[in-house]
Amino acid sequence: MRLIIRDDAEAASAYAANYIVQRIKEFAPIPSNPFVLGLPTGSSPLGIYRILVDKFKAGEVSFENVVTFNMDEYMGIPRDHPQSYHTFMWHHLFRHININPQNVHILNGNAPDAEAECLAYESAILAAGGIDLFLAGIGEDGHIAFNEPGSSLASRTRPKTLAYDTVLANSRFFDSDIDKVPRMALTVGVQTVMDAREVVAIVLGARKAPALQKCVEGGVNHMWTLSALQLHPHAMIVCDDDAVLELQVKTVKYFKSIEQVARSQGFEQSLPSKLRTRNTNPSINEPLVTTNGTANWSTNSSTYTPPPTIHDAPQSALLAARYPIPVERSKSPVFDSMSSRIQDGPVFVGVMTPPDELPDQGYHSDGSMNGSLKGHTNESSERAVENSNA
Amino acid sequence: MGSTTKTGNGITKLTNCRLLRGDELVWDDLWVSSTTGRIVQSQAAFYDDLIVPNDVIDLGGRIVSPGFIDSQLNGAFGFNFSTVLDDMSLYDQSIRDLNKKLVQTGVTSYVPTVTSQTSALYQRVLPHLASSSASSSRDASSGAESLGAHVEGPFLNPLRNGVHNVAVLRRATSLADLESVYGAANLTPSTIKMITLAPELSPETTKTLIPALRSRDIIVSIGHSNATYEEASAAVSAGATMITHLFNAMAPLHHRNPGIFGVLGGLPSHSCPPPYFGIIADGIHLHPTTTKIAFNAHPDGLVLVTDAMHMAGLPDGRYPWRNGTDDNWILKRGAVLVLEGRETTIAGSSTLLINCVNNFVKWTGAGVPRALGAVTATPAAMLGLSGKKGTLEPGADADLVVLSDGDEENGTTDLAVDEVWKFGVRVFQKRKKA
Repeated sequence: MRLIIRDDAEAASAYAANYIVQRIKEFAPIPSNPFVLGLPTGSSPLGIYRILVDKFKAGEVSFENVVTFNMDEYMGIPRDHPQSYHTFMWHHLFRHININPQNVHILNGNAPDAEAECLAYESAILAAGGIDLFLAGIGEDGHIAFNEPGSSLASRTRPKTLAYDTVLANSRFFDSDIDKVPRMALTVGVQTVMDAREVVAIVLGARKAPALQKCVEGGVNHMWTLSALQLHPHAMIVCDDDAVLELQVKTVKYFKSIEQVARSQGFEQSLPSKLRTRNTNPSINEPLVTTNGTANWSTNSSTYTPPPTIHDAPQSALLAARYPIPVERSKSPVFDSMSSRIQDGPVFVGVMTPPDELPDQGYHSDGSMNGSLKGHTNESSERAVENSNA
Repeated sequence: MGSTTKTGNGITKLTNCRLLRGDELVWDDLWVSSTTGRIVQSQAAFYDDLIVPNDVIDLGGRIVSPGFIDSQLNGAFGFNFSTVLDDMSLYDQSIRDLNKKLVQTGVTSYVPTVTSQTSALYQRVLPHLASSSASSSRDASSGAESLGAHVEGPFLNPLRNGVHNVAVLRRATSLADLESVYGAANLTPSTIKMITLAPELSPETTKTLIPALRSRDIIVSIGHSNATYEEASAAVSAGATMITHLFNAMAPLHHRNPGIFGVLGGLPSHSCPPPYFGIIADGIHLHPTTTKIAFNAHPDGLVLVTDAMHMAGLPDGRYPWRNGTDDNWILKRGAVLVLEGRETTIAGSSTLLINCVNNFVKWTGAGVPRALGAVTATPAAMLGLSGKKGTLEPGADADLVVLSDGDEENGTTDLAVDEVWKFGVRVFQKRKKA
């Protein structure tokens, strides 16, 4: 995971927006190979959208060959309701940029068959070749999209009941009348987000600090669904200074230092070349279900029937087959810099430590070691080098 | 999903502009369609019809207002609606010329006004002044559009005739009296949109005539009248919804007899809201503070009108005018028009509606949105055209004025008409300075 920390919300938003623009430009999308972008709603991404619009108007980026999939939509309010996510996206992004309306996908919260709508959505993502970059926000309870605490980390697009806290929080957008707040939504699942080749989450403000702490420093846990990102090979969290309030100083320093090192080495945050362009066979998240002959699926098509394989195959087998453990390593030292510092076996050439006292696990990222050997082995190995030079 | 019509959908997006929305100027985009001639609900067009605009026009931060509506226009550019020509096809030609010139001033629709005239004149000219939406296609190149005629007379009080010829003024006691003057076939809202009358002339006027006209959807306006507050209130209760050029050609406010102006303070019975009222803010008809008082009395009712004569847009001089049974001469000296021989009486104006808007902003301090509302949403509401004219809401006719506010070179903050759009098509664009 990459964690990018900026002084304030504006700088964090600018970083994320620049990153997205950079990704689109590197990708050089064409109609037959569009850049597929997953998009969130809410207050967190507003700054990013504003900057993306500015960059489009300045001619820095084109959305002509960008395909978008939105995370979620309320059920049971009109599509053009002021608080619908259709309206949000129209207001803050789509109307300002040159996106082709045919390339825009948002779940239809008024679909007669919500279940079919969700299955069609997953299929449409597959038909588009999977999502290249999923931009995400985060709730105060660590939720990603409408995957409230307790949502399965293997969940896919589906109708979802909203947590009472979310209903309460959203009532401010509905005349402060809790009865007007939709109780249900259609949302992509955690696994839908995890399937993206890359995930970028924007986390802003002190109120999100506890959630960020749980998701970065805690374990993977369905009560903090964003924590699933820990299992994603190319996840990046961009946050402002306030959002890191609950993180350990050590954690903050670590992520800042590796960003600095990466930059000094000219790596920045770039991805492996295959992922940057998707021009060759994607090694990750290759669709299991073939889309041959079903490329005309549309989320609005009334004649759509979901592919049987999704239902019939056991979910675990399906996921295992579709999402093999990636073997590709980033060319950047950033992604797996923690693990890369873990030694596989004895490396000591010094004379002071007998082999049977070597630690099982080896070094921590900060160079310290487990237990009683802390601060011992590095010095000894350095000394050994000095000795040999002498 | 529908098919994408990327070319030739006739939709233009105006962007980087401030839209008049209610009492505010709001930074927003506006989509207009030259195919339907209406303002487009852009979000639905995008999601439902997968439409993107053909053209995008950056307005550089200028103001977009609905097209102006002049509710009282006697003529302009040398043509007066109270004119009978031997060959009435020439009359139509004159109207077509006027429409094309008038639209360039920001007035996209208007109520052609015929003063107190003989029955013969009314019956000749009224069919030619009918609402153009009733007959012709919605053709942007035709320019400004008639919303139906306003007959300002002849059922007026001779004591408040202004420059109207007393010889043709009449008294009505029944609908038959009106039909005999205007022609029965013309007494429909597509031809006669509005009638100015003096309610005190007969008891039947308030008792039966005004309700009868209202039931025909013809707007009744009180004007050229000596009505008391009580008489005016009764007329409003009976269905009159407008006052023709408030203060002019009526008794002034007296503290024990507030007269027609008093109605702006509300009716004694509070049975219905106060009426709309026309204000000629040309700087000649009214003192600035009078305008301000009227506005403060009933801000939502103020309609700016020009009451312009055919000398609007012409140089100073002596111009003929058919006035009832007489041929008079009107002298134009600057913006002032007077009747030759009776030079203390104002004979209409020669102003443009945009000038009235600028005057109104200066006099009242009410702000640009309110001033523009007085030539858009308020007259549209007065004419029963809310949602169709005078608004930038989706579904309304895409009649627009693009205004610049403030020219640093000239040190002015006046609004200026830069562009005019009719039915979603740009029909006028001010030439840029070399």
